[in-house]
Amino acid sequence: MPLLMIGIPLLAVILLNLGPRRWISKQTALYTALAATALQMALAAYMCFTVGIGSVSSIRFVEKLSVDLFSAVTLFTIGLVAMISLLVSRDASEGSRFSFFNLLLLIVAGMNGLVMVTDVFSLYVFMETVSAASFVLIAINKRGQELAGAFKYYMLSAVATVLMLTAICFLFLCAGSTGFAEVAACVSAKGNSPTLIAAFLLFTSGLMIKCGMVPFHTWVPDAYSNAPAPVSVLLGGIVTKVSGVYVLMRVYRDVFLNNAAVGNVLFALGIVSILVGALVAIGQDDFKRMLAYSSISQLGYIVLGVATGSPLGFVGALFHFFNHATFKSLLFVDAAAIETQTGTRSMSHMGGLAKRMPYTGVSSIIAFLSTAGIPPLSGFWSKLLIVIAVWRVSPALAMVALAASILTLAYFLVMQRKVFFGKPTEETREVREAGGNTVLAQVILSAVNILAGLAFPLLLFYLQGIGAL
Amino acid sequence: MVNGAVLANNLVVLLFFWEGILATLFAMILLGREGAYKTSVKAVVLVGLSDLCMMLGIGLTAHLAGTLAMDQIHLPLDSAGSAAFLLMMLGALGKAGAMPFHSWIPDAADDAPMPFMALLPAALEKLLGIYLLTRICVDLFIFTPGSSMSLLLMTIGAATILFAVMMALVQKDFKRLLSYHAISQVGYMILGIGTALPVGIVGGLFHMFNHATYKSCLFYTAGSVERQTGTTNLKEISGLGRQMPVTMVTFLVAAASISGFPFTNGFYSKELIFDGALQTNVVFYLAALLGAFFTAVSFLKLGHAAFFGKPAKNLAHVKESPLPMLIPMVVLAAACLAIGFVRLDVIANLLQPVLGQATGTGEVIGAHTNWLLVGISVGVLALAALDHFLGFRKTGSGLKAADHFHDAPVLRDIYRLAEKKVFDPYHLGGYAVRGFAAVSLSVNNAISWFYDVAVVGAVGFLSAQLHRANNGTKTRSLGWALIGVLIVAAIFALSL
Repeated sequence: MPLLMIGIPLLAVILLNLGPRRWISKQTALYTALAATALQMALAAYMCFTVGIGSVSSIRFVEKLSVDLFSAVTLFTIGLVAMISLLVSRDASEGSRFSFFNLLLLIVAGMNGLVMVTDVFSLYVFMETVSAASFVLIAINKRGQELAGAFKYYMLSAVATVLMLTAICFLFLCAGSTGFAEVAACVSAKGNSPTLIAAFLLFTSGLMIKCGMVPFHTWVPDAYSNAPAPVSVLLGGIVTKVSGVYVLMRVYRDVFLNNAAVGNVLFALGIVSILVGALVAIGQDDFKRMLAYSSISQLGYIVLGVATGSPLGFVGALFHFFNHATFKSLLFVDAAAIETQTGTRSMSHMGGLAKRMPYTGVSSIIAFLSTAGIPPLSGFWSKLLIVIAVWRVSPALAMVALAASILTLAYFLVMQRKVFFGKPTEETREVREAGGNTVLAQVILSAVNILAGLAFPLLLFYLQGIGAL
Repeated sequence: MVNGAVLANNLVVLLFFWEGILATLFAMILLGREGAYKTSVKAVVLVGLSDLCMMLGIGLTAHLAGTLAMDQIHLPLDSAGSAAFLLMMLGALGKAGAMPFHSWIPDAADDAPMPFMALLPAALEKLLGIYLLTRICVDLFIFTPGSSMSLLLMTIGAATILFAVMMALVQKDFKRLLSYHAISQVGYMILGIGTALPVGIVGGLFHMFNHATYKSCLFYTAGSVERQTGTTNLKEISGLGRQMPVTMVTFLVAAASISGFPFTNGFYSKELIFDGALQTNVVFYLAALLGAFFTAVSFLKLGHAAFFGKPAKNLAHVKESPLPMLIPMVVLAAACLAIGFVRLDVIANLLQPVLGQATGTGEVIGAHTNWLLVGISVGVLALAALDHFLGFRKTGSGLKAADHFHDAPVLRDIYRLAEKKVFDPYHLGGYAVRGFAAVSLSVNNAISWFYDVAVVGAVGFLSAQLHRANNGTKTRSLGWALIGVLIVAAIFALSL
């Protein structure tokens, strides 16, 4: 089945490119891609239940791929966000180029592989697949700004690649293999040998670039804000999260065995990212830049949760990962809808859009309340778990993380007021609601946010039942 | 809601239903005519205040007793117990509409829909307030005759009787006049229960029972008059007796009952209260008697003005109310008389068991009539009639027959102040609240400044600094990444 997860999107890409371009309409490509993502969600949901029953321990399907509950949830999230991005692309003119579908499916295949691998080097290979496809996707229209954003992303990714590849070499030196299990055995046996420490240092630094933690975050706002609307949904919603945070979670827990020094780095960068991301987001005028900084801040929470190394923090981080994918995608969908309808991303040129675009306005409220952690929406529970887990390690950090929620609320309230409330400006007077596909995407994601929030206690009992907590 | 409150055996459950009634009260007054909003707010503020007292009282009681089950609480009236008693008592009095929580009732009478007035403030609220008062006096606290709490309660009762009846005396509006009487009758009940004597408590409860019948009946007659004439202003209606005979007769029966005319139910319950008051202190007896005198005077005036005298010209077309309105009036008036006849059964079977062992003797209270007291009461009624007759002779109008009280030397000044609402705690409270609000506002402004200016300024400053650091070229962002690696290395170095 894990092979299927990589195979489905790849097969779709092959099918789409069998004959000459003119044989296959964009409509067909869209439906093929949608079918592939839907199939992926169904399979992932099935795996969530089959894998989860009994224990969280992984089931090894083939030598190099394995799936546990954690990767099953991530696979589901990937399918969901990719589907949303496809829906949005129908209403946005930029995203409807044919190669968009090819690249999107390639990215999905890459992410699926990334999620299931059990060895450090394959991890690196899939990560590069995803990154390479992303660069092209950001610059798909070959406009100046997009190229600039893509280039910045590419540049820092290259640095990360160098750092991580070197680290992988060191790990290989030490363990004689790149499999997760072998490296972990080496880590637990040799402890703090200089080679291992160097490997930890380099790998963590590289990952921090991929995650976009402060001060490695400079590519995030440029890449997100300059990308075409559907691409920014995909990028901000899932791509950078999987290639950064997911890998971090997997490697920190399964390979580095919650190494204390790495933990300290994560704590420090996590809390700094939460604060800096939120503070910078407050002053932004560009809608998508603001969302990008907000992403940095939210990723800070996930990293904090991971850093605790406790099962509680880990579950909190995983759940926040899922929630972030849904609410931040929703916000990016809203941003895409507004950008398509008004032609601007500058919040000072918007106003009174709530009346003109009711679905966008309401879904934006749900999304930002969820982000800020207002009960009973999904974001509240995951933040709560993270804060509790952090509290057990350091109450002071937990307090700071909590206080930063107020900053989150602050910049989102400013956004909501500027964009959706108040009087319509000259530019926004004649605006209409975005197309049906975008509205559908908004409704789906809003529902996920609310339902995940309401169903959370059930989820918690389930996790306790299988001994994950 | 009311049923829930009466049946509750747990203080918190009781409180729940209690507050539920406040919510319906607010909504019901709001349903009335335009401008009812102010009245409903007034009602909520006053009743809410008393409910707050009760909430505190319940908290204190539960703390002292260590349980919330009402049938297990018997607290002595020591210092803490007295405080709890006092708070619970204020809550009960507020619901019953005694002074100083009374002032919303006449306003509500103006604004609220008529069936509501007949139902809630006149009957149910009293029922509930007095129920709780009895409950705390008889069950929850060990309440003895002649104790300071008893005297306090009696003083409140007497003051309520006198003040409200004096206000009722000078009202020129049918419903307002009735609502002041509603307050004054509550005074009797409190006086009776406050004696802490079996005869007084039974009298108070019996009076509550009777009050529900005759005051509902009176409010229905007021409603009937309002419906047929379109007004309740006594200056505009007169001589309706001929056109509305049934309304007049039921009014007369109920008025006789409230004035304590012999052989009506109000007479018997009042006699019991008089008896209890006299046994405690003659001052309370005299106050109650004076109240009875003024009650009679004001009802003579009301009946005379509304139903007798020359028919007003513009009301010549007025007819009797339709049958559905008459039925409750007639039933209630008949009940006033019937309860008078079966009073001993009512007392023996319904009221006396309330006291449980407290009476001890097994004798039915009120079985022996104290003829001296009856004589005095009847004398007072005769005096009232005489006073009315003289006033009528002097002014030539039923409505103005009681005006000599309004114009009496000392009373005139008091009335003038009362009409300016000087005695209305809500208005007094209004001034206090305004002063307090001014102080709070300046404190609030200071806090707002801190959040709106200081915090926002600091955040804005930080944000601007970070923006400058972030608006980077590619070189600068590579530089940041390098710094980042150094930071990570530094943290590693520190951790090892």
